[in-house]
Amino acid sequence: MRKDRQGSVSNKAGLDRVLSKRQGRREFLLKTGGILAASAFGAVPMRGWAADPVNIGALYPTTGSMAQIGVGCVAAAKLAVEMVNDAGGIKSLGGAKLNLILSDVQSDTTVTRTETDRLITGNKLSAIHGCFASALTLIASEVAERAKMPLLTGSSSDQLNKGRTYTFTPFARASQFALAQLRMSRLVSDKPKVAVIFENTAFGTSTSNGLREQAAAEGVEIVLFEPYSAGFTDASPLINKVKSSGANALFSVSYLNDLILIVRTVKQVGLNIAINGGSGGFVIPDFYKNVGKLAEGLQGVAHWNHDMDANAEKVNAEYKKRTGEFLFEYAGGLVAQTFMIADALERAASTDPQKVRDAIASLDVSSGYAAMCPGSKVKFGPDGKNIHAHPVGVQWQNGDLASVFPEEDKRAPLMKT
Amino acid sequence: MWETVAQAVINGLLIGGIYALVSIGVTLIFGVVKIVNFAQGEFVMIGMYISFFLANQFGIDPLVSLLVTMPVLFVIGVLIQHFLIRRVLGPNDMPQIFLTFALSLLLLNLALMLFTANYRTVHTSYSDEAFHLGELYIPEAKLIAFVVAMALSGALWVFLHFTDLGKAMRAASQNRDVATLMGINPNRVFCVALGIALALAGAAGSLLMPFYSAYPFVGQVFVLMAFVAVVLGTLGNVIGALIASLMMGVAESLGIQYIGADSGLIVVFAMLLLTLAFKPTGLGGGRAR
Repeated sequence: MRKDRQGSVSNKAGLDRVLSKRQGRREFLLKTGGILAASAFGAVPMRGWAADPVNIGALYPTTGSMAQIGVGCVAAAKLAVEMVNDAGGIKSLGGAKLNLILSDVQSDTTVTRTETDRLITGNKLSAIHGCFASALTLIASEVAERAKMPLLTGSSSDQLNKGRTYTFTPFARASQFALAQLRMSRLVSDKPKVAVIFENTAFGTSTSNGLREQAAAEGVEIVLFEPYSAGFTDASPLINKVKSSGANALFSVSYLNDLILIVRTVKQVGLNIAINGGSGGFVIPDFYKNVGKLAEGLQGVAHWNHDMDANAEKVNAEYKKRTGEFLFEYAGGLVAQTFMIADALERAASTDPQKVRDAIASLDVSSGYAAMCPGSKVKFGPDGKNIHAHPVGVQWQNGDLASVFPEEDKRAPLMKT
Repeated sequence: MWETVAQAVINGLLIGGIYALVSIGVTLIFGVVKIVNFAQGEFVMIGMYISFFLANQFGIDPLVSLLVTMPVLFVIGVLIQHFLIRRVLGPNDMPQIFLTFALSLLLLNLALMLFTANYRTVHTSYSDEAFHLGELYIPEAKLIAFVVAMALSGALWVFLHFTDLGKAMRAASQNRDVATLMGINPNRVFCVALGIALALAGAAGSLLMPFYSAYPFVGQVFVLMAFVAVVLGTLGNVIGALIASLMMGVAESLGIQYIGADSGLIVVFAMLLLTLAFKPTGLGGGRAR
């Protein structure tokens, strides 16, 4: 409509005023006629035979420093919505299709605040999922809470489970990651002496604090505990510190770029140390592409892995066909989240965010795509945590991630390095 | 104990060599053309992407691609001076600041659009290797980068002191009006200065590629250090910028080793503030080269 108006303005300014007037009149008739016709025959009866789509918001950074993960998330989000729709949509809503509304949060906290707000106020949404990076998700969650809009996220920050009613976290928390990492260090040595290096962000700090608090109880000695500012130019001084600490295992809580430098530097120093890269930038295909065979045998933890069950492998195959890469933890997790939202919509039989929230809160699944997570069970506690959630220990083997820990989730033997 | 210190100093010097290439470019442009080039980091980024694509498509080693990035960026520098900067050179500084800042934003966002925000790395045979001397180690890729950076800086010094064009550049930087009266064509001199500065940024890009990832924001990491080095080493002073860059590399490395890995920059900025407090014109003593 705005385009039409602009058109007529430029016509008025044009040479032939008479013609423009006639055009304007014709336009007017067409438009009013169209609206009348639409309201008389179109919109009202349409509701009878095709249900309105259900809008799902997706907040991911597809530009900026976190885009390489965000773009993969968007591909997975689209795939998940297609899967729900191809299976007949939401039956209790007359087979309503899910409609994904994407929003780019640009890897920036300020943009995340305004974009989340805009997404919620500008669209009639039923639920949101996003944003993968903890720093961004914490903000999106605040906005969603205020707008009473349910938000599902795979972000691992424990803060997301404090004082929130509309935020749900189906996967393992940062504190659980820590425990898994500590236990994995016992796979390498009976007397683990661990150096912990972490980026000084919400993600890095919460993960590493979890490590420090639980180390003693797990019989793991932490010999170095070092925050660093993300995006450094040179990892050598940091690795120098690790070397002088005498550690036999290195936990690095980092995003991709820093981790590449760290792994390369460890190799250059000739340091013989078992590296556990944690989650984040470590468990995405880009890591292997950048590090190459140096990555072989490196360990990490993930809240999701594609070799968990047959459903996950099926989604992985389809995702691989589309993007050429395996389905990484965050993208895989959000496919499951989409099915959790679909399950809630089905039971709520309503698109009202409040009812959808209540339906998510009472979710209890142990099969199907919605239960695609380590342990294959989803049921939320009062703090929005999945009470069954736990992470899986993974290892890079032949360019792919294999689940190697704990015993019940193990799908491949641990490769010795 | 001494090994730790020695290793920290080695690490600092090696990365300082890269800072030097970027900061020498900034200081050269400031000294000769009297403008601050905020887009210098983005030219490092362009150099990295050229090297990356040459390595990725044609299997050319990043060190060999130095022979491509430097001339290409030299030409870009000449064109930017001739078609853009020349038009804003006047008594007013603001248009110059806006121009180079806009150039930085433009290049950054173009790179985001064309190459996406993905990290790109090149894996060479020497990327992960290092020379070991007892307890100490020297990463091969960084050592090569350092040596080439020092050689280029030396070549620039020789050029500035022993060639007519170099002398003309120094003359133009000392007193533009008198230089013009002596028959020096300022635009020609400025074109060459921009060209050389950008070629150095391109060289930094190629030298970084074997051990650092290319991504659209990569220039920002290095340009911050470059600006500090330029101020620390006296604005417009090439040798000052070189020495300041190496000092900053070492200060950062020692800071990470002995204060904390998230406070390496604290030492660098403390050094800057202290220097300015006692020597307000910087280490170069206020002499433009």
